[in-house]
Amino acid sequence: MADRILKKEDLGRLIASVNAKGGQFIAPALDARQVVFKPVTKAEEVVTDYIVARNSYKELVFPQTEVVADFTIGKHGVDLKGRDVAPQETIVFGARPCEAVSLSSLRAIFTWDYIDEFYTKREDALVVITVACTKADDVCFCTTVELSPETKTGSDIYLKETESGDYIVEAVTDKGRAFIEKHASAFSEGSAKAKALFIPEKIGTIDLKKISARLKDKSHYDDQVWGRLTRKCIGCGACTFVCPTCHCFDITDEGTAFAGERRKNWDACQFDTFTLHASGHNPRHYQYQRWRNRFMCKFNYYPEKFASKGCVGCGRCIRVCPVRLDITEVMEEFSK
Amino acid sequence: MSNNIYLPHLVTIEDIYEEAPDVRSFRLVFKDKALRESFDFKTGQFGLYSAFGLGESTFCIASAPTRKGYIQCTFRRSGRVTGGLSELSIGDTMGFRGPYGNFFPVDEWKGKNLVFIAGGIGLPPVRSVIWNCLDRREEFGDITVVYGARTVADLVYKNELQHWEDRNDVRLIQAVDPGGQTEDWKGKVGFVPTVLEEAAPKAENTVAVTCGPPIMIKFVLKALEKLGFSDDNVYTTLENKMKCGVGKCGRCNVGDIYVCKEGPVYTAAEVKRMYNDF
Repeated sequence: MADRILKKEDLGRLIASVNAKGGQFIAPALDARQVVFKPVTKAEEVVTDYIVARNSYKELVFPQTEVVADFTIGKHGVDLKGRDVAPQETIVFGARPCEAVSLSSLRAIFTWDYIDEFYTKREDALVVITVACTKADDVCFCTTVELSPETKTGSDIYLKETESGDYIVEAVTDKGRAFIEKHASAFSEGSAKAKALFIPEKIGTIDLKKISARLKDKSHYDDQVWGRLTRKCIGCGACTFVCPTCHCFDITDEGTAFAGERRKNWDACQFDTFTLHASGHNPRHYQYQRWRNRFMCKFNYYPEKFASKGCVGCGRCIRVCPVRLDITEVMEEFSK
Repeated sequence: MSNNIYLPHLVTIEDIYEEAPDVRSFRLVFKDKALRESFDFKTGQFGLYSAFGLGESTFCIASAPTRKGYIQCTFRRSGRVTGGLSELSIGDTMGFRGPYGNFFPVDEWKGKNLVFIAGGIGLPPVRSVIWNCLDRREEFGDITVVYGARTVADLVYKNELQHWEDRNDVRLIQAVDPGGQTEDWKGKVGFVPTVLEEAAPKAENTVAVTCGPPIMIKFVLKALEKLGFSDDNVYTTLENKMKCGVGKCGRCNVGDIYVCKEGPVYTAAEVKRMYNDF
């Protein structure tokens, strides 16, 4: 049976088709000389030689800042209007299999009893087109967290590159199948040979089960090891902003004395004011406590509480860290 | 939007009570008449209160669910939002989201004696339980209230303290920290845990509820243990910084426990099982 193919010369046709039908096409492209997910309108903008985009595409479903309500304050009181979100169809092309997994983690949080429709409506309008990895850098550790370039969870369409730069197309979900049907003219049939996937070597000394057991044992919570391993953290929060599963946010009002907006803004558990009480008490006064919280969230709270992955092994937090704090070193320590 | 979980209800400030220096209470009614009638909550639950233009803060609902038609909140002016709320006057509009969180299982306490222990601005959540139980007085045994503050001026709900003092079906023990007494102070002088031990309420068939500064709670729990209370019969309410109130914003967790969703009310036994993340 012939394969469905997306030819490299048809990528522009696909982008045009998406844009013509009111959708936005997000792909890895250069911005400030780095490869990031951003809207593109032409195939020439799309970068194909990259490991992972610097940013996570979570910002498409969980924007860095989002207005949830508008208000005006007048003589006769307050007028308040909730915002609605009617997202356009959004295609993210070139996601990696590791980060595609993160959407189910975010969804678990944003639908925990109370449904955050700002998130769910955006995710429902998102089509994830994954391109499986044919190379990795030394930081990639998907296999260490039990994922791999062959993982299809979270992808609507899964692409494998061919030697000639085309893509072999596999529809994973109904959403993916509907997308292909809607933009059928960009796809063709043929037969091609996929490039070999690059499967990063698992960090052999890391054992997720051991990490989980050790974190569950509350007697390790005050181990000196937390301070020792994470003392160099400066609390910049960069790791949380690039992380595909970090979901923390603040709710703030912005505007003038008479009118403004209530916004959901990205926040980070690494910031010293994040948990600061009005009384001055701070449950996480020291940076190591804040770092511990993030690690616990990834390897205990997400898996135990939300049955989902807190860490997908994309390596972004390691690449972006200004003090070279490597989460896998902490994972190794807790695998002992 | 069919369901915007971050959109507050508008409420009118119907009355303002000066409780203590920088501490005041608002009596709030929903602008929406239907909601005013239908709004219900359980004692111990909390809400997010908006000063529009400044943001939201989390306080308990300090009134009792047995008092319908309004809610009350009590707060200390300490930051941007509480500062903004303090500038509001009777008739002004603010926002409320809630009720959120779990509650004190008052219905399970029928036939039991109750001991309430509060310190400073920790009385508001306990006050909701106290009024709830006083409004259903015949369902409970002896009721004891131990309440202390740093100084006489810092005691909140002074009128109500007088009312409880005057009732013969409540045993009220008031205290101020050493140095906080005035010349005509008739209550105790001492710290709440010590005063509690001296008052020595019987542990048998008794439930204790406590709220106050973390350090006070720590020693109150020890005092209750000494008095023979089992950890399952001691309740407290944890106050952590919150932004969403609905388990998403990620900051109120004590270890793996999200206070907004799985609290704020816990037994001492549950608190002792938590990660040391206070």
